[in-house]
Amino acid sequence: MDKPKVVFYWCASCGGCEEAVVDLEEAILDVTAAVDIVLWPVALDFKYQDVEAMDDGSIAVSFINGAIRTEEQEHVARLLRKKSGLVVAFGSCAVSGGIPALANLTSREAVFERSYLTSPSTDNTEGITPVTRSDVDGHTISLPRFYDTVFKLDDVVDVDYYLPGCAPVPDLIIGAVKAVLENNLPEKGSVLAPNRSLCSSCDRNESKPEDVCISEIRRVVDTKIDPDICFLAQGVICMGPATRDGCGQACIKGNMPCTGCFGPTDNCEDQGAKMIAAMGGIMEGNDEQSIRRVLDGIVDPAGTFYRYGMSASLAGSMRREKQK
Amino acid sequence: MSDFDPRIIAFVCNWCSYAGADKAGGERLDYPANVKLIRVMCSGRVDPQFVLSAFRQGADGVMVLGCHPGDCHYRSGNVKAMKRMMLLEMLLRQFGIDAERLKLDWVAAGESEKFQRITKQMVEKVRELGPLSLDGYVKSEVA
Amino acid sequence: MSRPKKSAVFLCKCGPNIADFVDLEEVAGWAEKIDGVEMIETHNLFCSPDGMNAFREMLKGKSIDNVIVAACSPKMHEKTFQNLAGETGINMSRVQIANIREHCAWVTKDKTEATTKARALISAALCRAEHAEELEHRTMKVNTDILIIGGGVSGMEAALTAAQAGRKVYIVDREVSLGGTVIKTEEVAPNMECSPCMLAPRLSLVKDNPDIEVITNAEVTDILGFYGNFTAKIRKKARYVKDNCIGCEVCFAVCPVEIDSPFHLGMGKWKAVHTLFPGSVPAAAVIDRDACRHFVDQSCDECRKVCPFESIDFEQKDEDVEISVGAIVVATGFDQDDMSAYPRLGYGRIDNVFTLSEFERMASSNGPCSGEVRLKNGEKPGAVAVVHCAGSLMDDGIPYCSGICCLSAVKTGVLMRAQNPDVKVYNIHNDLVLDGPDRSRFFSKAKKEGTVFIKCRDTGTVSVSENNGRISVTADGLEPVDVDMVVLANGMRPSVGTRELAEMLNVEVDQDGFFKADHDMLNSTGASVDGIHLAGCAAGPCDIATSITRGRAAVGDAISRLMPGREIELEIMTACIDSEVCAGCKLCISVCPYKAITYDSEKQVCSVNEAICHGCGTCAATCASGAARAKHFTDEQIYAEIRGLFVS
Repeated sequence: MDKPKVVFYWCASCGGCEEAVVDLEEAILDVTAAVDIVLWPVALDFKYQDVEAMDDGSIAVSFINGAIRTEEQEHVARLLRKKSGLVVAFGSCAVSGGIPALANLTSREAVFERSYLTSPSTDNTEGITPVTRSDVDGHTISLPRFYDTVFKLDDVVDVDYYLPGCAPVPDLIIGAVKAVLENNLPEKGSVLAPNRSLCSSCDRNESKPEDVCISEIRRVVDTKIDPDICFLAQGVICMGPATRDGCGQACIKGNMPCTGCFGPTDNCEDQGAKMIAAMGGIMEGNDEQSIRRVLDGIVDPAGTFYRYGMSASLAGSMRREKQK
Repeated sequence: MSDFDPRIIAFVCNWCSYAGADKAGGERLDYPANVKLIRVMCSGRVDPQFVLSAFRQGADGVMVLGCHPGDCHYRSGNVKAMKRMMLLEMLLRQFGIDAERLKLDWVAAGESEKFQRITKQMVEKVRELGPLSLDGYVKSEVA
Repeated sequence: MSRPKKSAVFLCKCGPNIADFVDLEEVAGWAEKIDGVEMIETHNLFCSPDGMNAFREMLKGKSIDNVIVAACSPKMHEKTFQNLAGETGINMSRVQIANIREHCAWVTKDKTEATTKARALISAALCRAEHAEELEHRTMKVNTDILIIGGGVSGMEAALTAAQAGRKVYIVDREVSLGGTVIKTEEVAPNMECSPCMLAPRLSLVKDNPDIEVITNAEVTDILGFYGNFTAKIRKKARYVKDNCIGCEVCFAVCPVEIDSPFHLGMGKWKAVHTLFPGSVPAAAVIDRDACRHFVDQSCDECRKVCPFESIDFEQKDEDVEISVGAIVVATGFDQDDMSAYPRLGYGRIDNVFTLSEFERMASSNGPCSGEVRLKNGEKPGAVAVVHCAGSLMDDGIPYCSGICCLSAVKTGVLMRAQNPDVKVYNIHNDLVLDGPDRSRFFSKAKKEGTVFIKCRDTGTVSVSENNGRISVTADGLEPVDVDMVVLANGMRPSVGTRELAEMLNVEVDQDGFFKADHDMLNSTGASVDGIHLAGCAAGPCDIATSITRGRAAVGDAISRLMPGREIELEIMTACIDSEVCAGCKLCISVCPYKAITYDSEKQVCSVNEAICHGCGTCAATCASGAARAKHFTDEQIYAEIRGLFVS
């Protein structure tokens, strides 16, 4: 019998999710032995046409990472959906927009201006920015359209499962691959990680007092952090309470607070708003002035609470006031 | 803009502000019909998720009304509400949403006139700001 | 998935109140078309006897799941309709009120707009009802015994009140006898009653009451449990004297060790074996282990030799006991402000400068000088200055007024004149706090009989200094006052150990360190946690009458809630935590005002004690993993309500 066909594809991605697959180390050999990888741009030389030529649904599973922000990414995502039995949103960018989705706080114009014109290391005196069509020496070259909004995968295609993380961890990846191969999958739409927040496995949880009261927000960049005490108890914002468990707390063990890459548990609509709700319960202050003093320590709420989840936020991308 | 009828949702706490709204009713103090109330037991119950969901589902403005500080039926739920809404306002600004679309205020059980006044003011304020088309995505870009 | 829910919509005209302002026919027509709405009924006045009957009949025999009542505010009749629907087996959680009167008909001028709004409110109620979860009435068995911490006047009166109601009462005091502070005073103003005469019968009653167990020389070491079901751990410290001791004092005479007596505030002495005062309750003496030669160097045994009842027991050990009670009354009293913190007042530095309580001790017939107030050199004082507000009304002292020191300050002069009619008494005061008929008259009488009242604008500038063997009291804007004795009217502070006890009980203290009341008007004798009550000065400075009243009110509240044979009703709409999802992050515990959530460190999850949860829902908002839910105000219900407001 033919081995199941598998795809690893990247959209607006840093490549970290591809590395995560490589991080499987020896186990990757078991994976490659069990399946037939038919598209993996970072590692193998298959082309889109090869996929287009396949029968619909003939790919067992496509692991798609990265956010959707260009025409090409949307196009291939849709292609893969058509050709796949299962589509797994792989990594925070696919699940909820990830780091690229922070661009939803600005606009394509601003991004282009910065990247191509004003960034200190750019030397672009002719002021060239990408365009979708250009004619060069009688030939027409086209580039995929760059969207104003960064989308998550399920904004453009129906997603079967979600594997969160920036990047997902080897344990969960192996688990997901096995589950697919053995046809032992949970309910469609499930997130393939435990439905509990990070505090449940965090070694520092016992040190968290039962009356957390942050009088001053402290930032990693300007504070020496005690490696044994709960971050929140030290005034450092840790997204742990609002973030799904399953990552093995690599950040915590590196004395860095959780930044929320595994996204929220099933019971929450909006991870950032939920963390704001929690923060509101544990900050000091009884009147507007004293509360403002504490809040002034949060220099970038959106970047802190929606670092990986901007595309999934209820408030959506940046809105400029406009007429309906 | 002037023919735009803003849709306002107000989360009101059962003990003070809901009673204040009831009193406004008893005294026939009218206010625009586009202000619709949702009862919670305490303003401390109001999750920022509710506020964002209200915006997402069509509200142009959201009010969160609770007991005056010091009078919360559950001691300090209103102070927590204040912290959450102040932080949420910071976030809304970053999202490009005018923070005046979110109003936290205190209405005691006897403050029927205040209730009428602030709801009317909110409607006018949001009318000036215009509709909040918060559908999250620039739809035309998704084929 | 279970079958779709069937809803009934009841539209109340409320006479003309709703019908004239909302087009209910149009609303009915609209509602008919909604999927799941099985019946729509309109009535002129559902809350009338006829209306309630009709409501009942309309639901009978129909298998309706959700009942939407579009009518007046739920504050008016939510219960009424919940009860009526309950008669046909519909759970109260499935009855939703759409307030189309106070929030719609009465406040919307335009009928079309009002009708549109009514539809939105009804639609919201319908959507909300979809997510209703069964609510149930719950009761809990309770222990009706009472623990009183503190055996002063308020504690004793509380004990007697509870015993009167037939309850078993434990009264615990860290001193060796009951009596508290008032027992140290001989005459209490304004009626100059004899305090021992007033208290002795009360002490007797407490001692003889079979329902009151007196545990002195003891401290509460831990409190577990919650309202209706507390367990208190008490450490009874060894007295080295058995309970059969009758306090006959035979051993006092032979004891060779004399030490400063704290009861006499360091102004007198007692022996290493002593009772607190003649007539203590319990009567048994106590041995000061640190002073007693038997313990220090095994060199003495005299008391044991002479005791006619073999009551001396040097081998006695501390004993730990556990008691179960339903409510706890905190009657731990107060402490005097320490005058040595204010060097300008000369206390501890200059002879013959006393605090109010020291003066009271001296003036007491069972005091160190048998009631005759004398200067250090043994002479009678010829001129006394009483400094009001000593250390009080100052940011770096006591910022508040204790309300009772003025009375004692005026009493000082009255007591002095009783001993020496020629004594000169000067009361240096700011505002005088002497309200009510009795106190006002007391003041006038004292003034008429010779006390000179000198108004001082800022008692914070009062300075006491030595002047040629006499004492000079000065203040801004005042002529210096020359006296040979000064009494400082010092204010009241929380009792030592208040903070630790508050932590043990899990209750709040206020900004001044006194136990904080649940509500300063509606519940001034309730602490911040159910089942814990506050008596006397534990809740803040007050006079004796108020102290006793608080004690009786506190215990009265406790016993009327915990009635034998009756279970208490619990809050219905409590929070609950899904242990499958809960990560044990404990943030909910930080926000609960009632300490109703506990963390199980073995299972590593939090759980809500539904017996003391008040249903505010702030834990549900705080829980960042969505494990905590507020019954009847769940996230799903609120999102549905929002949706319903927009889809109509």
